[in-house]
Amino acid sequence: MIPAEQQTKLIKLTVNGETRALSVETHWTLSKVLRNECGHTGTKEACGEGACGSCTVLIDGVAVPACMVLAVEQEGKEIETIEGLSKGGTLHPIQEAWLEEYGAQCGFCSPGMIMSTKALLSKNPDPTVDEIKEAIGGNLCICNNYEHIINAVRSAAKKMAKEQGRG
Amino acid sequence: MKRFNHFDATSIEDAVSLLQKHKDASYVIAGGSDLVGCLKDKIWMAYPEAIINLKTIPGLKEIRTDEDGLHLGALVTLTEIAESDIVKKEWAGLAEAARRTASALLRNIGTIAGNICQENRCWYYRYPNKIGGSIDCVRKGGKRCLAVPGDHRFHSIFGQVKKCIAVNPSDTAPALIALNAVVKTTTRDVAIDAFFSAEMGSQSTVLDRDEIVTEILVPHPAPGSASAFRKLAYRKAIDFAMVNCAAAITVEGGNVISARICLNGVHNNPRRCQESEALLIGQPLTDALAKQAGELAVAEAKPLLQNIYKVQMAKTIVADTLMDCAE
Ligand SMILES: Cc1cc2nc3c(=O)[nH]c(=O)nc-3n(C[C@H](O)[C@H](O)[C@H](O)COP(=O)(O)OP(=O)(O)OC[C@H]3O[C@@H](n4cnc5c(N)ncnc54)[C@H](O)[C@@H]3O)c2cc1C
Ligand code: SF4
Ligand code: FES
Ligand code: FES
Repeated sequence: MIPAEQQTKLIKLTVNGETRALSVETHWTLSKVLRNECGHTGTKEACGEGACGSCTVLIDGVAVPACMVLAVEQEGKEIETIEGLSKGGTLHPIQEAWLEEYGAQCGFCSPGMIMSTKALLSKNPDPTVDEIKEAIGGNLCICNNYEHIINAVRSAAKKMAKEQGRG
Repeated sequence: MKRFNHFDATSIEDAVSLLQKHKDASYVIAGGSDLVGCLKDKIWMAYPEAIINLKTIPGLKEIRTDEDGLHLGALVTLTEIAESDIVKKEWAGLAEAARRTASALLRNIGTIAGNICQENRCWYYRYPNKIGGSIDCVRKGGKRCLAVPGDHRFHSIFGQVKKCIAVNPSDTAPALIALNAVVKTTTRDVAIDAFFSAEMGSQSTVLDRDEIVTEILVPHPAPGSASAFRKLAYRKAIDFAMVNCAAAITVEGGNVISARICLNGVHNNPRRCQESEALLIGQPLTDALAKQAGELAVAEAKPLLQNIYKVQMAKTIVADTLMDCAE
């Protein structure tokens, strides 16, 4: 019924700086492709309906729920996942802050929370608590670890400011 | 999700011709935050054969102003509206409505056109094609409404449209109505008051199946105007509104000379509060008058057993939103 050529497409995109050519089916979501085709299982999928944020990744620097976007529509995009944060075994300051402030309990929400934090801090390096709450409002933590998560975001902001000589 | 043909439209004309080619079996996709959910759950009785991507069409992402007002391209995201200094300054009610829609993540992908074209969120309508199968209720052309005898705590408090009591879920719709916007499509200009239509079947608008929203025009408010938006939801960060409200008023010489007030989440279509608007004209906007306007807004409410609470919410939110305009 449906001609096969329109159900599968070849796309080229960059994942954590590495360019990839992938053959994707039209109905595959980005989270599915990152996990199953790219092996980046750091991107979690929980609700699969845009409501929890555990699948958060950055597309061209913008935080989005990867379970709600189609992979076929990502031609030429730059995708960043949790795996792209540490460099040569050194943790990113946001990840360090997560460790120091106990940002993770079970840790299932952490990749998504950290990606939302990364997008927030690149737009707003010194956010207020209200701004933090608004930015991570779409990321649920069923361990109810919000207090520590907010502390971790604040500490990450300070670390990054220091690193960039603003602190 | 099942497979479908996926097309990256190269122009508006291309998208329209694809819709015509796959007549009644295709949808356009903008951010996808509503559509992908419908596809995943296979909520429609017939699965679409084609999905047509609008994001590959150039020129639909612009926010600009001219003497006519604010022009929002169909693909402008809710984040872009919420963060726009121009919108915040002159069309505060719209910026606030965009800021309070869904979550930061969804606002990053969700577009303004997608927001006013989204389908209703009745949980029977949205029931996935899993145990028992998707539900062929009245809104999908079937015979029964499950919400009237079932759980209708979030449903209409102003009666039914063609036996359906699902509410319009959009947060930006009431703001665009209060601000008297015009929806520009591939075939016509539709005044926002005439845009929403639960009468059309499963869709929420008067759009033909091969018609696409290209731009939304919001006129400049007259001098002395103010607008505001409020929303009541279970979880502030992400949930749909139980009730929301937008108002735009113009004051001259201390008295209100024009007012537009709209509630949403209370009826199948967004609901203008024309009796409340008429009450305000020629009077100074005071607390007492705003409360009276709230009472009038729900005078004709016909709540069901489980949603009586929404009447009180609607009454209060109208008064509070009006007082936000007075500040
Ligand atoms: C968990 C969750 C919470 C949400 N909370 C809210 C909320 O609080 N308030 C709220 O208002 N919404 C909410 N939404 C709904 C949705 O995210 C928003 O309405 C969003 O703005 C939809 O825009 P989109 O671009 O993603 O639409 P899409 O999903 O791309 O499209 C939605 C519909 O509109 C049609 N369409 C899109 N663009 C056009 C166009 N240019 N012309 C004609 N038809 C078009 C599509 O065919 C489709 O039927 C929520 C969604 C989720 C998943
Ligand atoms: S309220 Fe409307 S959408 Fe919900 S079950 Fe009844 S007819 Fe269907
Ligand atoms: S898994 Fe994507 S938002 Fe929950
Ligand atoms: S730490 Fe367990 S979900 Fe957040």
